[in-house]
Formats: sequence, structure tokens, C-alpha cells
Amino acid sequence: MTESLFAQTVATATGLLMLTAVLQVWRRSTDASTRLLAVQGAALALLVGAIGLAEGHAELVAVAVVVFALKGVLLPWVLARTIARSGIHREDSSAVNPVSGLLAAAGLATLAYAVSRPLVALDAGPAAHAVPAGLTLVLVGFLVLLTRHRAVSQVIGFLVIDNGIATVAFLTAGGVPLVVELGVLLDVVLVVLILRILSARLELAHGELDLHDLRELHD
Amino acid sequence: MTLTDVGLLSQPVLAGLAFIAALAVNDSRRSAIAGTLNALLGLATAATGVGALLGEPGSLTFATGIPGIAHLGQLALAPDRLGGIFLVVVGVVGALSAWFGVGYAHGATATRAAWAAYPIFLWGMSIVPAAGDAVTFLLGWELMALGSTVLLHSEHATRPQVRSAVLWYAAMTHLSFVLLLAGFAVLIASANGTTWEALAASPPTGVSASLAFVLLAGGFATKAGLVPVHVWLPRAHPEAPSHVSAAMSAAMVKLGIYGLLLVTLRLLPDGPRWWAIGLLVLGGVSAVYGILEASVTSDLKRLLAFSTTENLGLMVTGLAVAMMLRSTGQRAVADVALVAVVLLVISHAAFKTVLFLGAGSILHATGERDLDRLGGLARRMPRTAFATSIGALAAAALPISSGFVAEWVLLQSLVHGDTRGPTADRVIAIALPITVAVVALTAGLALLTFVKVVGIAFLARGRSPEATNAHENPASMTVPMWVGAGLVLGLGLVPGWVAMVAAAAVGASGIEPAGLAGVALPSVNALLDPVSLVLMSLAVAVPIAVITVRAARKAPRRTVDLPWGCGGVRVDPTMQYTATSYAEPLVRIFDDALRPTRDLDVTHTVESDYLVREVAYRQRMVDQVERGLYEPVIRLLWRIGDQARRLQDGSVHRYLGFSFAALVVVLLVVTW
Amino acid sequence: MTALAVAWQILVAVALTPVLVGVMRQVRARLEGRVGAGVGQPWRDVRKLLAKEPLAAEGAGPLMSAVPVILVISSLVSVALVPLLGIATLAWVPDDLFVVVSVLLVGTVALALLGLESGTAFGGMGSSRHMMIAALVEPTVLVAVYALSVPVGTTALSSILQARMSDPTTVISPVSLLALVALSIVVLAETGRLPVDNPATHLELTMVHEAMILESSGRDLGWLELGSWLRLTALLGLVVNLALPWGVAADLGVGATVIATLAFSVKLLIAGSMIAAAEVFLAKVRLFRVPELLAGSFVLAFLSVTASYLLV
Repeated sequence: MTESLFAQTVATATGLLMLTAVLQVWRRSTDASTRLLAVQGAALALLVGAIGLAEGHAELVAVAVVVFALKGVLLPWVLARTIARSGIHREDSSAVNPVSGLLAAAGLATLAYAVSRPLVALDAGPAAHAVPAGLTLVLVGFLVLLTRHRAVSQVIGFLVIDNGIATVAFLTAGGVPLVVELGVLLDVVLVVLILRILSARLELAHGELDLHDLRELHD
Repeated sequence: MTLTDVGLLSQPVLAGLAFIAALAVNDSRRSAIAGTLNALLGLATAATGVGALLGEPGSLTFATGIPGIAHLGQLALAPDRLGGIFLVVVGVVGALSAWFGVGYAHGATATRAAWAAYPIFLWGMSIVPAAGDAVTFLLGWELMALGSTVLLHSEHATRPQVRSAVLWYAAMTHLSFVLLLAGFAVLIASANGTTWEALAASPPTGVSASLAFVLLAGGFATKAGLVPVHVWLPRAHPEAPSHVSAAMSAAMVKLGIYGLLLVTLRLLPDGPRWWAIGLLVLGGVSAVYGILEASVTSDLKRLLAFSTTENLGLMVTGLAVAMMLRSTGQRAVADVALVAVVLLVISHAAFKTVLFLGAGSILHATGERDLDRLGGLARRMPRTAFATSIGALAAAALPISSGFVAEWVLLQSLVHGDTRGPTADRVIAIALPITVAVVALTAGLALLTFVKVVGIAFLARGRSPEATNAHENPASMTVPMWVGAGLVLGLGLVPGWVAMVAAAAVGASGIEPAGLAGVALPSVNALLDPVSLVLMSLAVAVPIAVITVRAARKAPRRTVDLPWGCGGVRVDPTMQYTATSYAEPLVRIFDDALRPTRDLDVTHTVESDYLVREVAYRQRMVDQVERGLYEPVIRLLWRIGDQARRLQDGSVHRYLGFSFAALVVVLLVVTW
Repeated sequence: MTALAVAWQILVAVALTPVLVGVMRQVRARLEGRVGAGVGQPWRDVRKLLAKEPLAAEGAGPLMSAVPVILVISSLVSVALVPLLGIATLAWVPDDLFVVVSVLLVGTVALALLGLESGTAFGGMGSSRHMMIAALVEPTVLVAVYALSVPVGTTALSSILQARMSDPTTVISPVSLLALVALSIVVLAETGRLPVDNPATHLELTMVHEAMILESSGRDLGWLELGSWLRLTALLGLVVNLALPWGVAADLGVGATVIATLAFSVKLLIAGSMIAAAEVFLAKVRLFRVPELLAGSFVLAFLSVTASYLLV
């Protein structure tokens, strides 16, 4: 893999990560959010694969394939099933209006860039430039978690955070040890599957999936 | 004797003559004579400014004090180049306003007091930028405040709102004066003397420097009408006579910017970073808030007042960016930003004069300043309409006006700050894009605001009998407007030498004339030549014009009753969009920031609840800053006042007790 | 010599514009299962309208006939300034992006005034909405301009384009991708395409652009149509050239110019067809959700600036 092609691939993947993060805040449709998540997973896989190829680590390429299979295909598919089953296609209980949400996302991205500047300065390589994108993903994921109340949106926010952590981890540590990363991935898969089952049960019992309603459960 | 000397000497003479003429001449000829003398005073001020800009030294000193008893030191007028720019601005604006006043002032606005206050106001304004020391500066500042307060008061008998406006204005002016007094006191405490040279030679350091900066910036911001101390502008500008509004808005508030330039360039040039950040926030918030309020306001003069806040906000933004860039060693780009500030000052002075005089002309002809009741004036008052439209063109920063040039230079300085790479400054990297967005939003809303002004006031058909029966004003009122409009276009077409003069005034380098009459900024790789742009447009226009003219000969325009059926009946002008409805989408979008109060009354017919007989809609915009910040303070003051009233209950014994207590305290203090 | 190239660019743009609109309409018609009027119909429409007499209401001012001409001139000047075919520019009229934006704004404002001059409720309504969109688009435009100018150090379009031609990989950098997405939304909003405004609507209450020109007819309407279409050519051509800088003439040679003309026509028509195809599947968003769309595009432009600091 040539140097410039590597740089371009990393840049494109980074751009896609940022774009999907912003669109995640923007879109209210849960279907669209799921598709964005799939694109985000694929972009992450692309990033990991590019680093693996550039540095000649075969196992990183393997991780990329796993990441793509899990984050790009499996998890979005499970989510899509959940949405199709629950029939909730819109997040209509958001705490902030889309414009404020978007401006907040812009602010968070700026913050991420400002904070990660010293990190980037340490390493002049192109991969370091994706660190702020990962940080943005984490922050935006939290924003989604905080402002949306549907259970499905919560899962989506959680997955965005996970994508962000994975991005930062791959770039700064030169790749988290394979076992750890796979373990984490497995955890995430479990969480999603549990949420999926839980949400199906909740839905059977209450017919609605809003976290506000969960508050009433303790009574 | 230099031009500066002559100007400085002739100013007090002309001011005195105008003052005497205002008191001595009878009612029928007062406006003509006093107005002319004031216009000459304005020209003398402008000439002084030109002298100062040419670099001619000149000074005028008065020894003050009570002869034989006390010597208070010398008051010196010695304008430098920066002061020269502001002298020209004050002079030209003052002259045009006074000229307009000759035809405009009548009744309450043409009394002895009103015309006597005008030269005081004008001379005070010309002392401020010419002053060579802090005491003279403050003296001019007070004269200016005194004169403008009396002028603002002139129509108090006919309109009750004037009194409240005067109260607000007087309170804010004094706030400004007190802050300045305290700020200069801090500066003088560490210096040997009160002249600018002495103050600049040994500036205070550390906390006292910051204290001085905050006090002075607060005082100048109050005069400049920046948010949150802008509250006097939307009250005073609508209630003052229009020619006075023009002088206040186009010249007086600008002296706040002069003060800020004086402080940041000369007196305290090496401040810490947070000074610039503070000014940037102040300027950005003022710009956006000002234009947002302007865009949803229907009162023409109130709208123009808010637009003044916006423009002053842009100037302070530019100044703050320049300070920031300077502190990181980017002198070349910082110089461009400073030139942008001066260009904004000149441009705003020119177009705001035109717009306020235009508003005065409309007010004079129709008695209305509510846009919702105007309309169709382009046909009734074509000369006013044309001049005002040119002013609006600049206010919306469209080519080929002065506003466009100034905003272009500002944007060029903003996008060329060094923000890249790990070495670049982090604050600048965050501040610049946000500033670009703020300036862009301001520009966009200004566009909407002034399309609204021109479109609603001058186009379509009159919305009230006053508008449909309006008549064009005499030449004494339209010619000053035309001169102002000419300045707007002139500055927009040949910005080259104006930018050079501006650069010299703030000591900026890297500004060159280019093209036919344009300006080049080699340090940021940019060039603007409006004349060439116009020539190119004309070349493109030729074929279009030929086709149009030939087609018009074959198929001339035909007048019909109703060109398009679905618009319904054309006869009723109340069917048209008003200024309020024009801004309604914006009010909805910025609902959270503006918080309008709306009343909707639907009256049904007696026969059925399904049939609507009448719908009444009222919308009131209240300044949110005023509601959130000032009303609590005013309530607190009332409460303190109530408490203080308890001290006075009319009992002689209590007053005797006060005197006794005071005596004891004094004796105690003395013996200590 | 440069002046000749600029004149050629204007001619090409004027000739190509009705074709672009025709292709867009035809693509849409075919995808909707209609036969369509043919690619040449917009051209025939403009010719017909320019020959017809304009109707004016009693007391209508000279603005009714001045605005259409101003709009066309503003569009033509921006077409001349934007490097559509080649990067050679006139020495004293550089293709500064801020100037291009301002020249386009002159047309925007002229249209808004026309809507008010007509003195009908619909005209004012269209004008108000049009200016609201224009005001909110402004931050996105200028921040996107900023993002594009940061890597090059100038706001001159030809320099930006030249940098992209010499290093085509920069086109797919995040800076460029985000800025291009933001600019594309701006182009849709500024030229009154779906989802912001429906150019084919017949329902007055949903109109923006059409509401302002309802009162115009004959020659005036012809100029208005041509002027608005030329804006589309200028803006779409700009985005297309920024996204695919291939084929743009680097010098004033005849060969390069011919290639540039062909390449530009193909790129523009394909881009237009893609927009038209996408429009078939789009619905117009509610007017008060347009700010959301514009805020989204603003955030993309802003992120693009932020990203540009790091990707040197």
C-alpha cells in the first residue's frame, strides 16, 4: 500500500466517521440511524484494514474483517429487526430540537479537535489525524444517549460511543491487543442482544419503548 | 499655520456663532441660519480631520483654571491620524445632518434650545477625537452628552415616550462617563501627566491594567451601544428628531469605537489574551442580537437603531480579531483586520446618515415611522426612495456599495489567520471559524432586514392614507441625502485610496491600490476592484439591453387590470404582506431568543361558531436583554428607594438626630 | 485573450443552461412514467417568452421590468467569474469566492424586491420565505468558502481549483468531502430545488420562487426563467468542478478549451440528471424544517473547517 493511498484511505474513513456522526444527530428516523451505523462500522473497518495493510499486521486485517462483519452487518441488522418488530420508526421524544442538537454536535467536534491537538502533534502520521474523529464520535454518542429517550436510540448512541472508543484505541495504541478488542466486541454484541430481548419483552408488557416510561417501573 | 490649526481655531468660533444665532434669530429664519452655521462647523471639523490625516501638525491649547486662585493645567487639542479619520466622519455627518435639519426642523425641533444644543453637541463630538489628553477628552465627552440630551428632549411635549427615552439615555450616558472617569483615573495613577503620550509611556501593569481596560471598555461599549448596554439606542434613536438621530447613530456612537481603538492601539497595546476574547464575544453577540432584533422590528427608526448595534458589533469583532492576531505575531493579517474596522466605521457613517435622513424624510412626509403603515413611496417620493435604497444597499453589504468593500476586507482578514498545523494557536483556530459564521449570519439577516425596509416602505402600494397621499420633500432635505448616497457609492466604487488612508490612520501596512480604483491586500493574496466589476457587468449587460430594447419595440408592455387572476382582487392594499408578516418566519425560527408575546382574538359571527367574522393579531417584541437584565436591577433600585424613604418621615426630631449623629462622627474622625 | 475565454465561457453557459434544465425535466418525466416535453423545450419556452409582451398591473413600477434584467446580469457575471471551463481569470476581476457570492446575492435581492413590488399577498409571501432561506444559507456558504480556502491560502476559485487539479487526491479528503456536501445542500436551497422548494409546484401556498414571479409575464418572465437557470448552471458547475476537477483547461489553448467545454457539458448534464433522478424520490420538506436542513449543512461546513486544521 503506497503512502499517499494510505493517507487518503485514512482521510476518507475519518471523513465518513465524522459525517455519519453528524447525520446521526440530524436524522430522526431510526431506520436511517441504523443505516448510518452500518456505514460507520464499515468506515471503521476500512480504517483498521488500512492501518493493518500499511503496517503489515495480518491480524489487524483479520480484525478489520471481524469489525466489518459485526459492526457493519450484524449489529445494524439486529437493530433493524428490532425496529421492524417494534414499529417505532421515528425518534419523537428527543429533548432538544434538531438545530440545537446539530450546533451542539459542532461544538463537541470543535472541542474534540482542540483537546486532541497535543496528541496529534506527537505523531505526524496520517493515522493520528483520525483521533479527533474518534473523540468526536464518543462525545456525539453521549449527546445521543443524553437527548433521546427511545430504547433503540439509546442502543444506537451506545454503539456510536463504542465506535469512537474503537477508533481512538486502534490509532493511538497502534491497535489494541487482538484478544482485548475481540472480547470488547463480544461484550457489545451481548449487550445489544440482551437489549434486544429486553426491549421485546418490555414491549410485550407495555407496548411502548420510551425510557421515561421505565422510570415508572419501580413503583 | 496649517490646515489643522485653522480648523481647530475656526471650530469654537463657528460653534459660538451658531449658538448665538440660535438664541438671537427669530423663529422664521432660525433653522436656516443656525442650520447653515452648524453645517459650516461640520465642514470645519472635517477640514481639521483632513489636515490631521495629511500629517500636518496642529494644536490648540487652553489654559484652564480660576485666575489667581488655582491652575488646573492645560487642555490640548492635537489630533493624530486616527483622530483625523473620526474628525472627518463627525464633521461630514454633522454637516449633512445640520443641512437636512434646515428643511426638517420645525415646531418643537426648531426651538431656541434645540438649535442652541446642536453646536454644543457637534463641537463636543469634534473635541473627543482631537483631544490630546484625558481631561480634554472627558470634557468633550460631557459636552457631547449634554448637547445630545437636550436635543433628544426636544419633542417631549408631544410624545410621552420621549421622556422615558431621555431618562434611559441620561442614565446610560452617565454610566459611560463614570466608567471612563474611573478607567482614566487608573491610567493616570501610574503615569506622569494626563496626555496620551504620558499615559502610553508608563502604562499600568497586571491587575490594574486589566481593571483600567475593563472600565474603559465598559464605558466605550456603552456609548457604542453594544449588547448588553445597548438599551438606550432603540429608545433614543426613534424619539430624537431624525437629523439628530442621524448624527447620534452615524457619528456619536462611533466615538465609542475611537475610544476602543485608542485604548487597544495606543494606551494599553499589550494586553493579555482574554481582553481580545472578551471584546470578540461582546462584538459577536452585539452583531447577531442587533440584526436579529432589527429584522423583526417594524418601527423604521428602531430598526435602524438595532442595525447600529449590529454594525458596531462587527467593528468590535474586527478589532478583537486584530488584537488576537497581533498577539500571535500575525501582524500582516491583523493589519487587514484593523483596516476593515476603519472601513466599517466610514461606511457605516455614510450609509446610516442616509438611512436616518431617509427615515426622517418619510416621517416628515407621512407622519409615520411604522413600516406596516407605509408602502408605495417610490412613486410618491422617488428621490428619497432612491437615496435610501442606496443606503440600504450598503447596509446589506451588497456590491457596489461601501458596506460591501468593508465586509469583504473583514472576511479576508478572518479567513487568512494562520490556524493550521500543530503550532498554530488553539484559541484562534476555534475563534476564527465561529467569527466567520457570526459575520455571515449577520450579513444574511441584514440582507433580509433591508430588503424588508426598501420593499415594504417604497414598493407596492400604500398601506395607509398617509402613505398614499405623501409628497416628496423639498431639495433642502433630499440633497443632503443624495450627497450621503454619493459618498456610499463613491466609497464602494473607489475604495483604493480610502483604504490607504484608513491603513495610515491605524499604522497598518500591506494595503495597496490596485486595478482602476480598487484595493489589493498582498498579505492575504486578495484584490477587489469594483470599477472593473462594474465595467464587466456593463459589458455583459449590453447584449441583454439590446435584446430587451428590440423586443420592447416589437411587443410593448400592456397595462391590464389584473395580470394574474389567482391573486384575487388587486384593489385592496391591506392584502399585501406587511413588515411584520415579512419577518414572521424569522420570529418563528428564533422564537427561543426573541420570545415575542402574541395575542390572537378570533371573533365568530353570532349565527354560527364555524364562521369567523374577525381575526385580530397582535405581536409585541420586548428586548430580552432588557427584560432579563435591566428590569431586575430597576426593581431592586425601587426597593432600595422605598427603604430609603423610611429615613424621612417628616419628624423634626429625626432630622435633628441625623445632624447630631453626623456631628459626633465627624468629631470622632477628627480626633482619631 | 483572457477576455475572449471568459466570453466563450458565458456563451457555453447560456447555450448549455436550457439543455441542462431540459435534461433534468426529461429525466424526471421518464422516471415518473411520462413522455416529457423533450430536451429542447426550455429553450423554446425562453425564446417564445422573450418575444411576448409583458402584462403590467395598473400602477406597476419600472422595477417589474428592471429586476428580470438585473437578475440575468447578476447570473451572467457570476457565470463569467466562476471557473467553469478554464482557470484563467481577468487580472482585475479575480474570481474571489466572496465576490461571486455577493454578485449572486444581488440577483437574490432583486427577486425578493420583485415579489414585494407586485403588491399581492403571494408575492410578499414568496419574497419573505426566499429571503429567510437566503439569510440562513449565508453562514454555510461563507464557512464552506473558508474551508476550501484554508488549504490554499486564498479565496480565489481558480487557485482552489488549480490545487485540486494538481493533486486530485485532495478531493476525497474529509475537508473537501464535508465542504462539498455542505455546498451541495446550499446549491439546492439557493436554486430552489427539492427538498427546499418545488420548481414544478402549482400550489401557491407552498411556493417560494414561483410565488415571487407570479405577476411577471412575457419578456420579463423569460429573463427571470433564464436568470434563475443560469444561477443553477453557475452553482452546480462550481460544485461539479470542485468535485471532479478533470478536464478543466489549465491554459488558454484552443485544444484545451474544446476538451474543457466537452468535459464540462458532460459533467454538468450528468450531475443535473442525478439531481433530477433524486428529486423523484424526494418530497418538499415543511418550510419550518428548512432551517434544520440548513443547520445540518452549516455543521458539515464547520466540521470541514475544523478538519482542515489537522489534515495539512
